[in-house]
Amino acid sequence: MAESHALFAACHEGLVRYLAGAVGHRETARDLAQDVFVRVAAADTLPATDEGRRAWVFHIARNIAIDHHRRQQLRHVEGIVEEPAAGAADSADTALIVNQALASLDDLARDVFLMREVAGLSYGEIAEACHLTPDAIRSRIHRARLQLRKHLQRPITAARAHPMRAGLR
Amino acid sequence: MHDVISAFLDNEPFDPAELSASLATPEGRDLLLDLVALRAVVQPAGLMPVSAPARGRLVYWGVAAAAAVVILASGYVVGRQSAPDSVASQAATTITAPEPTSVFKFEPGKNWTDSTQAGGN
Repeated sequence: MAESHALFAACHEGLVRYLAGAVGHRETARDLAQDVFVRVAAADTLPATDEGRRAWVFHIARNIAIDHHRRQQLRHVEGIVEEPAAGAADSADTALIVNQALASLDDLARDVFLMREVAGLSYGEIAEACHLTPDAIRSRIHRARLQLRKHLQRPITAARAHPMRAGLR
Repeated sequence: MHDVISAFLDNEPFDPAELSASLATPEGRDLLLDLVALRAVVQPAGLMPVSAPARGRLVYWGVAAAAAVVILASGYVVGRQSAPDSVASQAATTITAPEPTSVFKFEPGKNWTDSTQAGGN
């Protein structure tokens, strides 16, 4: 049980970020993260490696997000975009556009992109979580980025007007 | 095509020759910059860590509490060091009770409430 707690704590932040992107709503993401925890805590045994454990947790999270979509029949997120940070109209606009762009991706493309980009999983971990090969993940993440690049051309152009960090990770 | 750029950005293994070939084209270089910008666009927009604002407040109060502790501790230490030693030692050794200005003696059987006797007002 303590092992499950530690694993969940280690994954929690990335998990909520992934779920927030997957379902388009922060509070719902928190609730779903708790559902993930319940399933993690109920498991008799955990995968042997750290990488395997993270992949397993995100595999559970992905299934829970899919179940949530099925229940809610929630295929677009215009109405439930996250509340903007205080006084940040531009951020709210960008959040809306980003959420719309994410919603335009197919489920798998969105999942692999979010697991990589906001949860920080490696290609190997994502491959394990989604039952694909790392090469397939590499290809799908890239395709997701190309799609998002099309949808987000305006904010991307705006971002390029300022100094950037490569953010390699 | 160009997915080597994604692998490079994600710190995953990549073929240097393939990356070099990709970046040799204007499209490849433009894509690299766009993907870096995409990362920046996606991160702060709708996908901030949910704990970020709460963490910010915690850090703020943590710093404030630490500053208060430091200020109190500094005040205590400075006060201890700057106070003359004699003050504390005098308080312990030389201060004695004042001499009595009058002495009352209780005499058994005497009526202290009788104002007609000597000494009453």
